[in-house]
Amino acid sequence: MTAASEVYDAISTNVARVLRGKPELVRLAVAALLAEGHLLIEDVPGLGKTTLARCLARSIGGSWSRIQFTPDLLPGDITGVQVYHQNVERFEFHPGGIFANIVLADEINRGTPKTQSALLEVMAERTVTVDSVRHEVPTPFMVVATQNPIEMAGTYRLPEAQLDRFLMRLSIGYPDLGTEVLVIMSHCAGVEPDELSPVVDIPTLRAAITQVRSGHLDPHVVEYAARLAAATRAHVALRHGASPRGSIALVRAAQAVAATRGRAFVTPDDVKEVAGPVLEHRLILTADAELDQRRTSDVLAEVLAAVPAPATSATVA
Amino acid sequence: MIQGVATGGRGADRGGDREARGRIAVAAVLAAAVVPGLLFQPVFGFRALVAPIAVVVVACFAVTELCARFPRSQPWRPVLATAAGLLGLVELLLRDTTVAGVPTGATVRAIVAGVSESWLLTLRSTWPARPEPDLLLFVPLAVLVAAVAGVELLGTGRRPLPALLPSLAVLGVSQLFGAVTGVAAIVAGVAYAGVAVVLLLATGRAGAPGPVVAAMLPVALVGAVLAGTAQPERTPYSLRDQQHVPQPTRVVNPLSEVASRLRHPDEPVFTYTTSGPVDRWRLLALDKFDGVTWSTDGGQRWLGDALPSPAHATSHTARIEGAAGPWVPSQALPAAVTGPRLLVDEATGALRLPARTGPVSYELRWWEPSVQAGDLIDGAVDQVEARRIGDLGPVPREVADLARTAVGDIRPSAQTALALERFLSENYDLAEGPDIPTGSGWPQLRAFLLKNKVGTSEQFAAAYVVLARFLGIPARLAVGYRAPASSGGPVVVRNRDALVWPEVAIENVGWVPLDPTRAATTGAARGGLAEAADRARAQLPPAADLVAPALRPPPPDATNPDSGFRVPWRTLALAVTGAFLVGVAAVPLLTALRAWRRRRAPGTRAVVGAWFEARDRLRAHGMAVTPGTTVRDVLAAVSDPTVAAGLSDLADILDATLWSPDGADDDAGPRAWAAVGLVRKGLAKTPWPMRLRAAVDPRLVLRRDGWTMARETRMEVAAAPR
Repeated sequence: MTAASEVYDAISTNVARVLRGKPELVRLAVAALLAEGHLLIEDVPGLGKTTLARCLARSIGGSWSRIQFTPDLLPGDITGVQVYHQNVERFEFHPGGIFANIVLADEINRGTPKTQSALLEVMAERTVTVDSVRHEVPTPFMVVATQNPIEMAGTYRLPEAQLDRFLMRLSIGYPDLGTEVLVIMSHCAGVEPDELSPVVDIPTLRAAITQVRSGHLDPHVVEYAARLAAATRAHVALRHGASPRGSIALVRAAQAVAATRGRAFVTPDDVKEVAGPVLEHRLILTADAELDQRRTSDVLAEVLAAVPAPATSATVA
Repeated sequence: MIQGVATGGRGADRGGDREARGRIAVAAVLAAAVVPGLLFQPVFGFRALVAPIAVVVVACFAVTELCARFPRSQPWRPVLATAAGLLGLVELLLRDTTVAGVPTGATVRAIVAGVSESWLLTLRSTWPARPEPDLLLFVPLAVLVAAVAGVELLGTGRRPLPALLPSLAVLGVSQLFGAVTGVAAIVAGVAYAGVAVVLLLATGRAGAPGPVVAAMLPVALVGAVLAGTAQPERTPYSLRDQQHVPQPTRVVNPLSEVASRLRHPDEPVFTYTTSGPVDRWRLLALDKFDGVTWSTDGGQRWLGDALPSPAHATSHTARIEGAAGPWVPSQALPAAVTGPRLLVDEATGALRLPARTGPVSYELRWWEPSVQAGDLIDGAVDQVEARRIGDLGPVPREVADLARTAVGDIRPSAQTALALERFLSENYDLAEGPDIPTGSGWPQLRAFLLKNKVGTSEQFAAAYVVLARFLGIPARLAVGYRAPASSGGPVVVRNRDALVWPEVAIENVGWVPLDPTRAATTGAARGGLAEAADRARAQLPPAADLVAPALRPPPPDATNPDSGFRVPWRTLALAVTGAFLVGVAAVPLLTALRAWRRRRAPGTRAVVGAWFEARDRLRAHGMAVTPGTTVRDVLAAVSDPTVAAGLSDLADILDATLWSPDGADDDAGPRAWAAVGLVRKGLAKTPWPMRLRAAVDPRLVLRRDGWTMARETRMEVAAAPR
């Protein structure tokens, strides 16, 4: 698993020049990239959501675009439109911002639901259909969206179908004191994401993605992931648990995390490590649980504690 | 079990492992049947039980093994096992009923009798019973049924515990026969629980072993301790208490024959040869008096192998020949009889032939208690016996006055009893010649006591008993013969030796034979009670100087189960403490055994066993561990660098072993256990109270969270007896 781990090392080192003190966050973000998933970065303003997204985008040698979601943004601005050219007397397709390897969807919850829905097809199928014509987006393709969870005015909550399409939802979190000092010093020194150079070209990234896909999966580990997902569906505090897409995402993300660590096989610890980022945004609490101020992270912790890790089964296998 | 992921080699190992575990499970079920069989030890003695039970169990095990090798014979396994067990029993116990070892109709009848009658005969026998087939047979048959049924339940059931139900039923029956108490009960309880635990571990049903194993040991320990310590001084309930051999409607009372025998004095009755001291032979003791006749309602049983010895007693034997029934000569404390099968009244020592036969010959062994004269002269009357034999009924006023005159107005005691004997012997004369008085009802006794003052030993003894009982002295009538003086060689007892004598119950001594006629003193060797009574008579002060014995608290009433109950606190405390210490010692022992098992497991299992060992040791030191916890979860939670280093190594080895496509390398197990060594080294730095608690906490071996040792090695129970 040299290629994948080298990709991770290169990107994380590059990102770390700007984003300080969040190596595990960067690992998960790179894992999402290697697992061909999409990333939703959610946190309060000023913690570096957009910075992380920009750093990630800048570290890849392919194309990238930024879509600033606003209430007046239209679906066509994202997907592209057919424009009539008088000189040639025919329509031509003008691609929108979605046609890039890395798409930064900033403040995605400020877009209207109609506009947000323009991402559904492309995030799931990596194609855009305009006027009945399908257009493929370049590969690898990744949407890195950011949103502010506390600001409600002028925002539109992402629909569940949209959330389910994100492989992971990450929170940056406040830095500790030492890290914050480093962040301030970096900012004052003028190190900006736009100054980062691409460190991984597209062919290398594709090779790494292929390598991640070929990582060894023990059936017990897959069963463990499925049991976790099933346990979320049976939990009394949850109205809706993780979907099979969630189970798949759990295993793919675990594969990618294992790859970033240079391992060609997945362990239950990999699954547990990505369970929070992968599953939490797919779980919907019951009304009672919300009234009790329970959080999906707490419920997931209960599930992880209750579902036996597969070492026991392996003993008798 | 998750199927389809094991390599061929591992699958083969598991097949062999299942086979071995199946064999262990069968052995455990058979052992569970053996334990209650051996609990019939108070009935037959240990030695008599071993061979029949072993034959049955070995036959059952052999058939199970054979059926496992020949799957087509599986449906016939219960039939074959039963047949093999029965055949073994026939060859061992019923060979006399066979022709050259081949069972006959008599064999079948004997087996049927073994099922239908032997248990009842045993209940109607003294214990230990004679280990003869017509009594013993029901025990190995019950073990055979329990073993066969248990093996079948093990093979067909989804859970192993129902396989123990047949043996539990036999255990219940054995305890109804005679409950074991004390150390034997504790040993038996622990043994049975141990067998059950082995069965559970061998079958290892997921989910079941945790709580059941956890409950089994404490329940068994507590049950065993309670059974072993509950009122050890009281006789436990037994079905035998309700069972006696039914009395024939008419049986000769030897008391009614005394007068006629004395009229034909020269007729020989029987002959005996003995080297021990004998001054009289008893036929019967009578303690019920309705004003006309003397009788007894003492239950009789078949005389078993031997009757128990009283404290401080010596054994003597005699060869008796030509004794005619139904009552045959005996002693107060018979031990055993060699010869015809006899009935015995354990309370009086009377022996009876079960059916009218001609004269019989037999060898009698009996116990002669060693009693000091001082114990007798200073003894108090036995209040328990006084209550048991009950009231005399209305006593004629003149007789009552005579009784008070005879010994004065003092409390009943051994001295009073001897003084009353002296009163009769000094004031009344023994009748001789052909015209002797007969009968011992109130009219005859009034005539004897108040008018004639001449009578045979019958009137002397009966008069003594009524006077003594009026005075509060427990007394009864014994009928038999005096021992003639002899100069060696066989002694002939004739009709002239017919004798009736009174016996009084003295506390801590027993029933003491007296002789108000002085007729029993013939010059024959005297020993035991007779000799002690002679010396006590010599020390007896004059009537005016008799001293009343000191007052003592009344003894507990044995007939009232509520009275005299004492909680055996000391024994209970000792037993509980002992059980606790055993339990405490068992934890490190079991954890060491578990670690040994984990370490010696092959390949992957040794690595996973290392993780379980590290996890359990950390949990013992207070770390919270859930079923979902992995090595790296634990690693993230520990602070000690040595422990962390061990866990880090262990995590790497475990991941590479379990989840990589390459699997375990050859030295993965040793390296994993080396990592466990680091963990243990780190934990050794914790304060000693925590280490002590971690070493003896029973929850370490009795958890029900799905991490038990049994679960680690769970197997399909169906693999047990195939």
